[in-house]
Amino acid sequence: MSIELEKPGTEVRVTLIKGRANGSPSQPLRDKIKRVSLWQQILRHRLAYLLVSPVIFCMLLIHFIPGSLGVYMSFLDLKQSTWLKFLGAPFIGLNNYGTLFGTTHNSLATEIQTAARNTLLYAFITNVGTIGLGLGAALLINREFRGRGIVRSLLLMPWVVPSFVVGLLWGFMFRIDTGVVNSIITDVLHLTDAQHRISWLQNGNVFWAITIPTIWRGYPFTMILLLSGLQTISLEYYEAAQIDGASPWQRFRLITMPLLKPIFAVVTLWGFIGSAYAFNLVATMFGNGAGYPGEWGDLMQTAIQRNTFQGSSRYGLGAAATTLFMLAMLVFVGIWYKVFRSSLIVEK
Amino acid sequence: MAVSIQRTNYNSIWLRKRASRFGAYVGLGVLVILTVFPIVYMILSSLKTNDEILLGGSFWPQNWHFDNYPEMLTAVGFFSYFRNSLIICGLTALICATIAVFASYALVRFRFPGSGALDLAVITTQLIPGVMFLLPLYNIFLWVNRTLGIQLVNTYQGMILVYVAFFLPISLFILRSFFATIPLDLEEQAMVDGAGRLTAFIRIILPLSIPGVMATMITVFMYCWDELLFSLTLTNNTDTEPVAVGIRLFVGGQNSSRYDLIMAAATMVTVPMLVIFFLLQKYMISGLTSGAVKS
Repeated sequence: MSIELEKPGTEVRVTLIKGRANGSPSQPLRDKIKRVSLWQQILRHRLAYLLVSPVIFCMLLIHFIPGSLGVYMSFLDLKQSTWLKFLGAPFIGLNNYGTLFGTTHNSLATEIQTAARNTLLYAFITNVGTIGLGLGAALLINREFRGRGIVRSLLLMPWVVPSFVVGLLWGFMFRIDTGVVNSIITDVLHLTDAQHRISWLQNGNVFWAITIPTIWRGYPFTMILLLSGLQTISLEYYEAAQIDGASPWQRFRLITMPLLKPIFAVVTLWGFIGSAYAFNLVATMFGNGAGYPGEWGDLMQTAIQRNTFQGSSRYGLGAAATTLFMLAMLVFVGIWYKVFRSSLIVEK
Repeated sequence: MAVSIQRTNYNSIWLRKRASRFGAYVGLGVLVILTVFPIVYMILSSLKTNDEILLGGSFWPQNWHFDNYPEMLTAVGFFSYFRNSLIICGLTALICATIAVFASYALVRFRFPGSGALDLAVITTQLIPGVMFLLPLYNIFLWVNRTLGIQLVNTYQGMILVYVAFFLPISLFILRSFFATIPLDLEEQAMVDGAGRLTAFIRIILPLSIPGVMATMITVFMYCWDELLFSLTLTNNTDTEPVAVGIRLFVGGQNSSRYDLIMAAATMVTVPMLVIFFLLQKYMISGLTSGAVKS
């Protein structure tokens, strides 16, 4: 989130705050000063408003107006038969939300509930994996050695592979009989015998089938962020600690980790949002891109997309689930802010 | 006596350093293999016949079967998906960078009433899940077509509008952190010489910001290339569908077990990204790291 405290042109704020301070002119006069100065400020910055106007237009048209309509849709009985009325569909209050939590037999509610569980687990495990592997790789590559640039480039490659390709490719590699993952596990490493090949794309294993490729594609970016953080840490800290007799592990825990904390903050936030809102990989991995991912492979966005655009067109219910989903993300960002608040202020 | 103790100490430190370096090399080697293997395997599989793939077998193709590529391009008309993606993503990157370069300059240089709220709004957009506004957006597009007569669903301009709005926040993050590094005095000097604010910006700051603009364009292009959810809903024929949709339809139909063709298509979609990456790595890394850290 915006961390800048000071900016050129802060005077604007100062005049406004002065107007409100104790001992300032009487109420009507104060209002007048405030209004005039605000209006003058707006006039003075008309160039700035002109420059940001396309951004405001795009955000309103594509994000905020449709987003608000989406929340409103969650209170409507919007389905296949009422689709053409759109916002004129019958208003049913919180009924959609009730259905989502209901225990009555209802395939969508069950699917959304399992998808919510999967999304939470998926976001957690992919982030732990991505940050762990990214940190390990960053530490390994932070040494001086010949060919370092090439190694770094090679490790970054998965990051530019489109995520829909990642889904197709790993789905292809995970095939049970002739997939290359099982060939390596069974025929090269002999970890399982030919009768007990791992069925990656079935049952609970599906969860690992979507998690492993996500980490594979995600860790290079975390690595490069942490590497840029490592390179800003002055070597003097380590030398001083070494003179004081600190072990490598102590140096890592007491110097490296605290100084990387702002980067961990950023990586956690974007990583969590990115994996909670993931869609492409799951959408292309199963049935060569056309199948249902199964109980352990479904995520919120794929479950909602499937239930509102393919097959049962239960738009109102989908909107209710999405609204709750977004609220959950806001709660997460709140927690994140509480945890990392101190390191965010240090950063600037 | 003392001398010999010291010597053994040096020896053990030397040995430990040697061992830890060896361990690091082994670790890096394993990591590189695990990281690069899937990409190499994809490219090699695109050069095998489908029978060879279905049988499993060796890592290298038995005979190099380049015919998959022409077959993939003609059988499903994959070339038109490719063209659509290039047009949509190229124009999106260009428009996004143009809007963002002016807007982020305004956000960095002026503190105007409402700029804090605008900052917050830009970040908030990142928290709205795609499925939230997908359907209302579709309806708004239909409404625009009915009242203003502008066709947006299933057109280039509709997709570009959506993607420009999508990737403006990340463009702003990247360019803002870039502008924060350019000193203010430069443009003030120009203004003392009689140039207006905008002239000073265009003459002095814009040329300096070319690396930032490059980083923005590449990043936006990459994100745009990777978008599936909205293109799946807002396009419905080969005149506008991008590769992300095309590759999916391609494997869903009668070609569904043609892994050779799927891998050829996947390779063809990935290779441009890899080429951009290896040529312009410097810009990409600076763009994405600064964009992410700053925001």
